[in-house]
Amino acid sequence: MARIRRVILDILKPHEPKIVPFTEQLSEPEDIQGVTSKLVDIEENVRRIRVTVEGEDIDMDTLEEQIMDLSGSIHSIDEVSCGERIVEDPWLVD
Amino acid sequence: MNPRERLAGLKRVFGKEDVRSLARRYFVANGFDGTLTSIGVVLGAYMGGNIDSGLAIIGIGLGAAIGLGTSGIWSVWEIERAETSRELLQLEAAMLTDLDDTQLTRDFRNEQIVLALAAATGPVIGIVVTLLPFLFEGMFLSLFQAVLLSIALGVLLLAGVGAYMGTISKQRWYVAAVRMGLAGLVVAVITVFLPG
Repeated sequence: MARIRRVILDILKPHEPKIVPFTEQLSEPEDIQGVTSKLVDIEENVRRIRVTVEGEDIDMDTLEEQIMDLSGSIHSIDEVSCGERIVEDPWLVD
Repeated sequence: MNPRERLAGLKRVFGKEDVRSLARRYFVANGFDGTLTSIGVVLGAYMGGNIDSGLAIIGIGLGAAIGLGTSGIWSVWEIERAETSRELLQLEAAMLTDLDDTQLTRDFRNEQIVLALAAATGPVIGIVVTLLPFLFEGMFLSLFQAVLLSIALGVLLLAGVGAYMGTISKQRWYVAAVRMGLAGLVVAVITVFLPG
């Protein structure tokens, strides 16, 4: 199986845990090299965030379990990069 | 959940300002109840005339501590359980998902524990501190002196809590201390002038 190097997820989560501890905890596993969370929308009880996860070989099952444990719900997987290197979306490259 | 995970969870929720603020309120409100109750019980027992030893007053006071401590832990546990269940249902409805056994529900449970303990320790500390002089009754203090010292300790404890609350609310701490301490004196005066 090809190694997953980057995933971009659309996540719905309660206000707690806040975005900083949420992102910190997502970045803790060894197969994760970095995580960026971006606030997309705030509603009365929930927030929508876009989470970009990068690593050498991301274990998707573990990542999904961890997000669920942090009370998040994955709405969609918006982007996935697999293989030897990350190929940037040509539509976004100048 | 093993004890280490439980401890880490309790530490995490205690780091939240909203939980600390609520714990402070329960601790102070119930501690106020406990200290005033103890002043009333001590004076009432002494003035009843049938008590001739400090240990008897300690026994009565500890009964009050058990009652108020249990009341604090039980009522707050149930209140917080109902509130967090309601909040969880709202969140699950908003997220269209089951949040059982997530960090959120574990945090809710840990918050319940922290708040219930805060509600129970307040009155127990208030009562135990005011009962301390009776341990020395017969050694260094007469029963009357122990009663006076007990009231003084209760008033000082209330004033100390008042000063602390005044400090965190950026008000004049000594005014807050006098306002809280005065309650102890009011209870003492009312008890002294009670008929019989």
